[in-house]
Amino acid sequence: MMAPGATDSSVKREPVFTLVALAVLVLTVIPVGTAVFWLGFVRGDSPCVMCWEQRMGMILISLVGLFVLRFGPKPKYVGMAVLIACWGMFMGLRHVGMHAARDVGQGFSLEIMGAHTYTWAFFIYWVCAFAMGLLLLMTRPAHLASGVRTLRRLERFAFVAFMVVVAGNVVQAFASTGPPPFMGQSDPIRFSFNPAHWHWSAEEWKPSKWALRGRWAVDKPDLAQVPTDPAKSPLGALPALTVTARRPLGLALDGAPTDLAYLALPADPAAAQPAVDGTGQFLLTTAAGVYLTDASLSKIRRHTIVDVGYSVDLGRFAGAAFLDNGELIAVGENKSYVVLKPNDKANADSNFQYFLESRDQFDEVSRSRFGTVRARLLYIMSAAYDRASNSVYTLTVPNNVAKRLVVSRFDRRDLTLSEEFVPTLAKDAGLALAKDRSLGEFVVTGAVVADGQLFAVSAAYSAVLVLDLATHRITAAYTIPGLVRPTGIAVKNDSFYIVGDDGTLTVVRRPMPATAAPRDSTLR
Amino acid sequence: MEFLNLVLILVGAFLVLKKPEQERVAFRMLIVSTLLMVLLFTVATHTGLLPGVNF
Repeated sequence: MMAPGATDSSVKREPVFTLVALAVLVLTVIPVGTAVFWLGFVRGDSPCVMCWEQRMGMILISLVGLFVLRFGPKPKYVGMAVLIACWGMFMGLRHVGMHAARDVGQGFSLEIMGAHTYTWAFFIYWVCAFAMGLLLLMTRPAHLASGVRTLRRLERFAFVAFMVVVAGNVVQAFASTGPPPFMGQSDPIRFSFNPAHWHWSAEEWKPSKWALRGRWAVDKPDLAQVPTDPAKSPLGALPALTVTARRPLGLALDGAPTDLAYLALPADPAAAQPAVDGTGQFLLTTAAGVYLTDASLSKIRRHTIVDVGYSVDLGRFAGAAFLDNGELIAVGENKSYVVLKPNDKANADSNFQYFLESRDQFDEVSRSRFGTVRARLLYIMSAAYDRASNSVYTLTVPNNVAKRLVVSRFDRRDLTLSEEFVPTLAKDAGLALAKDRSLGEFVVTGAVVADGQLFAVSAAYSAVLVLDLATHRITAAYTIPGLVRPTGIAVKNDSFYIVGDDGTLTVVRRPMPATAAPRDSTLR
Repeated sequence: MEFLNLVLILVGAFLVLKKPEQERVAFRMLIVSTLLMVLLFTVATHTGLLPGVNF
């Protein structure tokens, strides 16, 4: 029997309506029906608030399919289906993004065929959009004739299946999320038919700050915003180191210096890069430049400008160190790095992809990224090499989201995270943090390892922190008079050589450890 | 709120099936349900609207 106003032209028996009915059935029964009846009622899974809305989108696309079966593929229905599918893909991507970077097998709630449910949501919405495109290709002008279609058996079955599945969801939604104004939860508890176990929450309605990227909206380091007054240090007034020289670098660099390292004449020539001209050499970096100078920092011996945008995005170089095997490393603020090796016979043509200038001065050994755990979502502005442990160290700088000083160690052999810690104050150091202050307020812009200690220079409060690498404790801290925005530190003999972003070189007498003599063969 | 939205959807499907002359009402309910879905997802993710990954 035909419904009031129904039409029954033969064109409405076209396969396109059969396919729409099948699509509604598949979308309703497989993802949504499985989720509510099997995962929910049988296995006790409750969707989180995001899963609920992704499920809702699938139900709404199915409902649009029912509209098409009843009234034909009117443009407004197709438009709604496309809009819902687009929003659904966004929801799926947003949800997958919360868990995509976790380790293998980790995720939120249950898996279906090896993938967590939110992953399937993105795929299902993509299939919906794909299927709608195919159905549109099959649609002919005659299908758009207005009127109410008489439903065939398969189409009526699609309606019934849809309503049964939605009714199941109504039951689950009432038990899991409750009546308005209660809504879905971020961490829903296990589903139960027993009202004693129902938990209705309005937590999601509580006002909190709106943001586009949330905790990922981390500002890049900006030394211009760093407090420099030593008197306001979290550690209070610190003893001052003696400045023995201060002068402009006077080198033709392509930008502001971002780090400094020194390689002395090695005690064992086989263990480290032989020094040029029988003396030591300095390594200077700029945002993209790598410079090797003589031991007095007065003459550039070789340099190159790295194409930091090629392949791995190196960002802006912020740390540099001499490694073993005659190699050196330049590390970007984003913890991406490039390992270079000086080579007088480098092939300029084959190096075209790596360097913008002086392609015949260096070879690129490797380019990759440091992965961190505690230091994740924090930029770094320093790098140091410890010959004793054959490791590269980096230290984090605070940002607008988090203020943590995290030290990360990467084994030189695979440049993979091997140790990570948050330093604390040594009890016998005579240091104390002011009330509500933390070591995370220091902005470490340069680091060097010598005699088992890591010396970190901070642009904030013009300070130098001394970190014992064995105990992970700060054993001493100093201030350097007149130091403004340092960006790199190196040890040469009994002195610190510190460069600032204005191109000033400051030489400071280095505090000597009580039990060790300075080593001129120090690498960093 | 999800409960309310599903009830709206169920009623909308019922109208399409049994009272097709109420097409406009059913379609408006579809739009309301869609907007409610968008609202609830946005409320749930407003502290980080974009996917929380490295951009």
